[in-house]
Formats: sequence, C-alpha cells, structure tokens
Amino acid sequence: MLLTINTDDPRPIYQQVADGIKQLIAGGKLEEGAALPPVRQLAADLGVNLNTIATAYRELQKEGLITVKHGSGSVVASLTSTERNQDELLRPLRTALTQMVLAGLPESKILRLVINELHLVGKGSK
Amino acid sequence: MPNDQFILLFYLFWWGARIRGFFRRWPQPLLRGSEWFFNVHVQPGFYAGPGKKILHRYRMRMFIPFVLDIPIVMAIFIPGYLQYFIWLLLAQAGVIHLNHVFSVDIAERQARRFAIADAEQPAAAISFSLQPRRLRDYTNPKVEWALVLSFLATFLWLLHYYFAAPEHHNLRQVFGVPVFYLYLQLGLLFVKQVIVAWRTPVPQTQAAEHIKAREETRKYYLLMCDLNRAAVAAATLFWPIVLTASPAASIRYRNLWIAVWVAITVVNGVWVEIKRKQLLKMALRARPVKLPDFLQQSEIARWPLCYQPSAPMLVLKGARGYSLNLANTLAQFGAVYLAGWVVLFAFLRMGH
Repeated sequence: MLLTINTDDPRPIYQQVADGIKQLIAGGKLEEGAALPPVRQLAADLGVNLNTIATAYRELQKEGLITVKHGSGSVVASLTSTERNQDELLRPLRTALTQMVLAGLPESKILRLVINELHLVGKGSK
Repeated sequence: MPNDQFILLFYLFWWGARIRGFFRRWPQPLLRGSEWFFNVHVQPGFYAGPGKKILHRYRMRMFIPFVLDIPIVMAIFIPGYLQYFIWLLLAQAGVIHLNHVFSVDIAERQARRFAIADAEQPAAAISFSLQPRRLRDYTNPKVEWALVLSFLATFLWLLHYYFAAPEHHNLRQVFGVPVFYLYLQLGLLFVKQVIVAWRTPVPQTQAAEHIKAREETRKYYLLMCDLNRAAVAAATLFWPIVLTASPAASIRYRNLWIAVWVAITVVNGVWVEIKRKQLLKMALRARPVKLPDFLQQSEIARWPLCYQPSAPMLVLKGARGYSLNLANTLAQFGAVYLAGWVVLFAFLRMGH
C-alpha cells in the first residue's frame, strides 16, 4: 500500500500524510486493527523531520482514526469510535460547497461532483 | 592442516572473492548504457569528454584498498604473524566497501555537472510504503529456534566438560570462543536491524518497480546475514567437538571441517553471483530519479559524522559525501557494540 507526497501540493507534508491515511481508511484499504508503520520508519522513508510524521499521527489520533499503543505502535481504530459530532464533520463540507457555489457551479453539477467524490473515497470499503 | 595453513587458505579464498568484486565494480558506471554514469543521466558525448577523466579516476580509486594492503601484508607475512590475516581481511572488507561507497558518491557528484538539466530536477511526487517494517517481519522463527538451541547445546556441553574437572581447565579457554561467537551473533542481528531500517523512498513513477527492487535487495542482504549467523552457530557447535576430542581425532575433525567449509564457500559463491545478476536486472528496470531533499541534508551534514536528533536517518547525504548521524539510535547501539568488542577482548586476554 503506497502513499504519495507531492512537493507541488500547497498542503504541508504532515497534512498530506494524514489526509492520505484518512483516504485509505475511508476507502477500506486500511482496515480496523491494521498496523501503521512506526513514526521513525515513515519519517526516514520520506526523509523528513520526525515531528512531521508525529504531528500527522497526532492529528489522526485526535480524530479517533488511529490508536497509539506504546510498545506495539499505531493501529487503525474502529470507525464507530470517532467522538466528533456531526457539526464538526460538516464544517469542511460546508466550506467546500460554499466555494463551489461562489465559483458559479449549478446545483446539479455540485451534486454530481459530490456523489462522484463520495464514490471515489468510498471505493473498496465494505 | 595446521592453523597457519588454514588461515592462509582462507586468505586466498578471500582474494578470489575480492578479485571477483573488483571486476564486478569495474563496469558499474556504464551498466545503464552510455547515456548514464551510475545513476546520473549524462549529456551525449560525456565519455568522450569530461566523463573519460571521471571514469578513469573512479577506476583508479578502486586500487586504494590494494595499495593499503601491501605494507600490512608484508608486516604480517615476513615475521610470520599469520593469525593476524583474519583481522586484516575483516578490516579490508570494511575498507573496500567504504572506499566503493565514497568513490561512487564522489564520481556521481563530479558527473552531475555534466548531467542533462531536466534529469537533475527532483521528482515532484514521492511514494512510500505503509507496510510496517520490523525485524520480526523478516524473521523465520524456526531458524531462530535452531540457532538458540545450538548455542544452548554448546554451552551445556561446555559446562559439563568444565565442571567434570574444573581444576584442569581454564575457564576463559573453554568459554572464550563460544562467548566470542555469541557476541558476533548479536552483531549480525544488529546488522539485520540496520538492513530492515534501510529507508525506501521511491518516485511516484515506476513506484512498484523501485519498491520491488529495494525489497528484493533487502531480502538478499537479510538472507546473507542469516547464512552468516548459521555459519557462526555451526562454528560454535564445532568448538566443544574439537575441545573434547583426542588430539588425533581433533585434527581429523578440523580437516573435515575445512573441507566442508571450502565446499560450502564455492557453492555459496556461485549462488551469490546468480542472485546478484538477478538483483541487478531488477534494479536496471527502475529508472533512477532524484528525490526531493526535505531535510536540506547538504546543509545539516557537512562532515562524515554529524548529530541531528530531528533527522530520522542513520546516514545522511551531506555536502561532502555520506555522514553518519550519531543521534540515531542505531548509530548509538553500534558504538556501544563496538565498545563491547574492546571490553570482551580485554576480558579474554586477561587470562593469557
């Protein structure tokens, strides 16, 4: 299972790593209980500061997507264990929808795009 | 066969392997074709122009270990200190490897000035595997149990031998050799850990080919480590056999041991050559790509040794070549391990 970091991407590296892992979890490629590489391995493979990967893992842990067990590493948490409420989850979606409306996209096209993206993200899950 | 002759035979075998390695490294810069110098995509006509000198210098540097060898061999051979040949070849193995690694790095840096401009741009996207790499993932429990049991059997046999008549045996003489081998085993396990930790960043293009080539090479080196560990375990088990046998039987066993060892070395040599060719074929399928340097390694690693706690790598590619990161846990373990050798030797020599 590969993850890709793009130097042209405006997002910081830790965000790209966190988002990449989130996508894999959402797509069912990383299942509940799957072990993630240690922070040191990922940081060395990418050639980045240890804190970069530690920050990405912290973000995933904060969102309840992974659990960090001392001594045995990080594993993908159960998807039902997320403690975030619906409002919090909807916030980025509202931002994206607002941008699409402001860009002048018709409602039907926005709906089509959202459905397509949902299919892409959820591809492979279940 | 007396000890000295055995060591001399061992040294001659070593020379055979060394010459083979020399001829393997000679054409290495051109393995990808005349458009390449090692992993640098060079401009047309490179080998007719500046490349000729760079290639010549690279090949001249290959002779450095031989030049270093001559005075040391004479210093050992003329007074007849043949037992030191073992230490010489262990040191030379390290020197040859380091000389090659640094020589390739120097040559590539020189060739980069004549590289095709686009090829020197770092890849925009870098991929990495999310598969955890731990020592246990590359460990065969059956092999480990066999090694542990062989050591246990040796020590139990030696304990029985020693306590049967403690007043007639020297503790260091009886247990010195297996303790030496046990420590060597620990060292080989440490080398395995370093190989497992070997970083695997790959460009997004041809990521699968790059990862396959890296993974196969990793497995090859790990297998070589395990073969050496098995050889060390066999040598450990052989020690009580020689120690407890009568002088005549002991010589017979030793000769048999040497014959078996020579046969295994020849078979292993052939296998290594075949395997190396397969790995090379695989490596050549993946086109070399320059990867982005997020840590600015040339800035933070200016000397052969550096201390960079925030950098997770054992070795950084610095401004003047490779730099060992002393802040890395593996480097610290390695230093402690080497210090352990000094303590062990001091302890073993105390009884002499």
